[in-house]
Amino acid sequence: MNKRPLLAAAALLAAVPLALSGCSSSDDGADGKTTITFLSWTGEEQMTPILDAFSKAHPEIKVDVSYSPPVAEYIQTLQTQVLSGIAPDVFLVAAENKTNLIEGGHMLDLSGEDFVKNVEPFNMNTYGRDGAQYGLSLSSWAAGYAYNEDLLAEVGATGIPETWDEFLDLCEKLQDAGITPFLESVDQMPTTLSAMIGAKSHSMDPTLDDLIFSGESTFEAEWTGALTEYNKLYTEGLVSPDVVALDGDMVRDEFAAGRVAIINAGPWIINPVKEAAPDLNWSFGKIPAIDGGEPFVAGAASPGYAINSASDEAHQEAAKVFLSWLASPEGVETFQAQTGDVTVTSDFEPPVDPVFTTMGESIRNGELYLPMISWQRSEDVLNVEAVAQIQRMIQGQSTPQEVAQALDAKLAAS
Amino acid sequence: MTRPLRRRIVLSVVMIALALFVAIPLYFIVINTFKTQAGMVGSPLAPPTELFFGNYHDVFTDPRIYRSFLNTLYVTAAAVLLQLLVGALAAYAMIMHTSRLNTVIANLLLIGFVVPGQSTLIPLYRMLVGMKLVDDLNGLIIMYLGGSIFCYFLIQGYMRTLPYEMIEAARIDGAGALRIFWSVVLPLIKPILVTVGVFQTMWVWNDFLIPTVFISSPAKRTVVLQVYNAVSEFTTDWPMFMTVSVVALIPMVIFFIFTQRHIVSGLLAGGVKG
Amino acid sequence: MSLTATATITRAKRRGRKAGWRQITASQAFLLPATIIFIVLFIVPLGQSFWWSLTDFTGYNPNPNFIGFANYATILQDPSMLAGLLFTLLFAVGTTVLITALAIPLAVQLNKVFFGRNLVRSLWFFPAIPSMAILGLVWRYILSPLDSGVVNSVLVKLGLDSVGWLSTDALAKVSVIVVGVWAATGWHAVLYTAYLQSIPAEYYEVAKIDGATSRQQFFGITLPLLTPAMVISTFLLMTGGLKVFDLPYTLTNGGPGFSTYTITQSIVVSGVGQGRYGLASALAVLFTFAVGILSFSQLALTKVIERRFS
Repeated sequence: MNKRPLLAAAALLAAVPLALSGCSSSDDGADGKTTITFLSWTGEEQMTPILDAFSKAHPEIKVDVSYSPPVAEYIQTLQTQVLSGIAPDVFLVAAENKTNLIEGGHMLDLSGEDFVKNVEPFNMNTYGRDGAQYGLSLSSWAAGYAYNEDLLAEVGATGIPETWDEFLDLCEKLQDAGITPFLESVDQMPTTLSAMIGAKSHSMDPTLDDLIFSGESTFEAEWTGALTEYNKLYTEGLVSPDVVALDGDMVRDEFAAGRVAIINAGPWIINPVKEAAPDLNWSFGKIPAIDGGEPFVAGAASPGYAINSASDEAHQEAAKVFLSWLASPEGVETFQAQTGDVTVTSDFEPPVDPVFTTMGESIRNGELYLPMISWQRSEDVLNVEAVAQIQRMIQGQSTPQEVAQALDAKLAAS
Repeated sequence: MTRPLRRRIVLSVVMIALALFVAIPLYFIVINTFKTQAGMVGSPLAPPTELFFGNYHDVFTDPRIYRSFLNTLYVTAAAVLLQLLVGALAAYAMIMHTSRLNTVIANLLLIGFVVPGQSTLIPLYRMLVGMKLVDDLNGLIIMYLGGSIFCYFLIQGYMRTLPYEMIEAARIDGAGALRIFWSVVLPLIKPILVTVGVFQTMWVWNDFLIPTVFISSPAKRTVVLQVYNAVSEFTTDWPMFMTVSVVALIPMVIFFIFTQRHIVSGLLAGGVKG
Repeated sequence: MSLTATATITRAKRRGRKAGWRQITASQAFLLPATIIFIVLFIVPLGQSFWWSLTDFTGYNPNPNFIGFANYATILQDPSMLAGLLFTLLFAVGTTVLITALAIPLAVQLNKVFFGRNLVRSLWFFPAIPSMAILGLVWRYILSPLDSGVVNSVLVKLGLDSVGWLSTDALAKVSVIVVGVWAATGWHAVLYTAYLQSIPAEYYEVAKIDGATSRQQFFGITLPLLTPAMVISTFLLMTGGLKVFDLPYTLTNGGPGFSTYTITQSIVVSGVGQGRYGLASALAVLFTFAVGILSFSQLALTKVIERRFS
């Protein structure tokens, strides 16, 4: 075997890393700039203009950004970095790692800062505990129902009814007219259920989760009612149990194609649906109420920007400047323009697509609920259990009460 | 028509039909790269009504894709060559001299296969942090060296099926072990080297788990990471995702078509007499 | 038969002869890089994981407390573990058997000369190229239960009802296994093809002259001589199957219910998600042991079969 080509290849390979290694260290330069490191969850496309605008406003601070796609990959990457002591100065705290980061004391308490004053308290408290606030959450997402106005008009309805019983009637009418009434993606916690529980919790003080997690109440006591109501969709034959295999994109595509009247949806479907079906007449509505409550929506505060408590003071100060700009009207506006999120600062009114107006109000008032973020510990484990048990319930393998009991058992064991 | 020819044609037809059936997901991925997101929503399986080149245009005019190609090329070439070398050396060592120690080691090495990646991820990450090789392409190469065990495993299996007359002859002639390895053994095991090389290249090029955790700067991204750039929190830009995936796959497909000739050009029939 | 006999005798002779010291040193030296890699990349991290499994390490706090075997006790008393275990076993055994049964005949056919052979071989191998995560997402889309789903739209056009491929427990399990088989058969067929090269063509010629049918040739020559390849292939399939993660995770997320939940998913959920790394490490250690016992038994078994045939 002729060795020469092999050696040549090896030599070439050795030269490549020299060409490829760019500057890596994020130490402060001699030009007086402070450099902070930032692990972003928002993609590069959207984040770059935001960071550019920040550099213009604050040329004395350089942001050394890296990216990790949401959700699981981001959480894993951040976790490994935190563990190895190389976590960035600014990172995002989300529902999945909130408890761990708080208990590990890895984030600075932002509650006294000026820049949080204009942010909707619901958002700041989501990533906080006992009065401390750790994540600057500037927007929220909400999910409700999207409905096809024309299909509803065929059975004489003008919008989503306010009560659940009326909603079930509407579905039946649609079904009799040969229209698929409703599809919901149950690959995650069903939007409907989140909203129902949220409505209940919103009217309670202490909240539903305070009671469950302190042991004063149980999932069985608080959830069985909502689960039973939700299950009527399937026990009354209005929706096929096949929904356990659907995800948000599939449901959205059916809706855009006009093959289903109502789906669970969030703002992320607005652009795709408008592009795919520009002539479709549709709008958003809230999930109907049960037990004399109010219509409600599922949703949560977007992940919050957090400052690493292990960074030194100079970097923390620079990070605060970064966060403060992000929360300013200018920062929020740039962010909103890039991501299209509904932002929640009081000094900036985000433009909201007309179809989404009712939902936009809920967001800015903090009237949202998502079990996983509201739960106070073992969120992931409980969520996986909840989704699996709900899927089994939909398939007819268990009852609503058994689902709630399973959650109690899981909470007790964790 | 002669019987052998007829049989060949029947075989061709059957095999091609089966293969096309197996490749339907590939067809699905490729046609959707020529659609806009809206077009895909409408009718996923139908061919595009008009070819939309926007996705490909976006990908190829994005300088990041070329950077990530270079990164991936470097990591893959280095990692695979090293793995093959280490694996072949170890395989030869095992064949060359069977002792109790070697047998014990051989069995222990198998443990490498039973360990799930999830359980060694964090310890390995901390190790690389200590060596300052996180977010570094060379760090990736080190992680991929674990694949040497796989190479060793396949190569030694193949080596066992070879007759040893040639090696014996060289040894009697007084050649040193390294010389024998380089000039006699390696050419003999070319089919398996190529096969394993192809396998490992596929693995390293397309691997997602290791780059995700160990690489964070955009400049050091591998091609697969670049694909996942199209994924955001709630929704995926599917046509974009598919397009970058296809672009990432093309080199591998070309590579495979190129090398498969070598996989099957093995020993000439009856070339080594008993 | 004579070739194999000679080789065996030569091998025996080699074993019998005492190797010179130069031989031994060279052998150990060649083995060194692989051994070092093995220790550094596998044993050390595994040891670390084992240490963590005895603590309440949360993955975020670098100063955990020692709690002995409490984590192991927790795991062994958790009912959802059982569901994950059963499906993981089913998947591993199912894919191993099915892929082996399909890949060997496929390799034999691919070894023959016919038009379009290169194309066919590439198409079969294609699923091995993209990452399983991407393929899982694509298949999830293809297997949509709606009438508009890719597979279902074909069924509907043929006048049949659409099927919820991933909506019921049994079908979801079957679907995951089928996709797993689809994804790896070509890969293993290529592996077998390389080994088919080492079977001298003379054997077949002699057999043909003796009047053996192709079926007899297959079972009498090809299969026995492929046993070394089968040992390797089935070992890889078993270990890979037991460790499977990407495919079920992206295809069904373990659902519906727990029907396609895997052990690795438990490790990820408790480790990454919950940050209870001590618990996840214990699970990983237990899992490694289980996979080890299963795989090595299977390997020993196939080696016995191999010895019978050579």
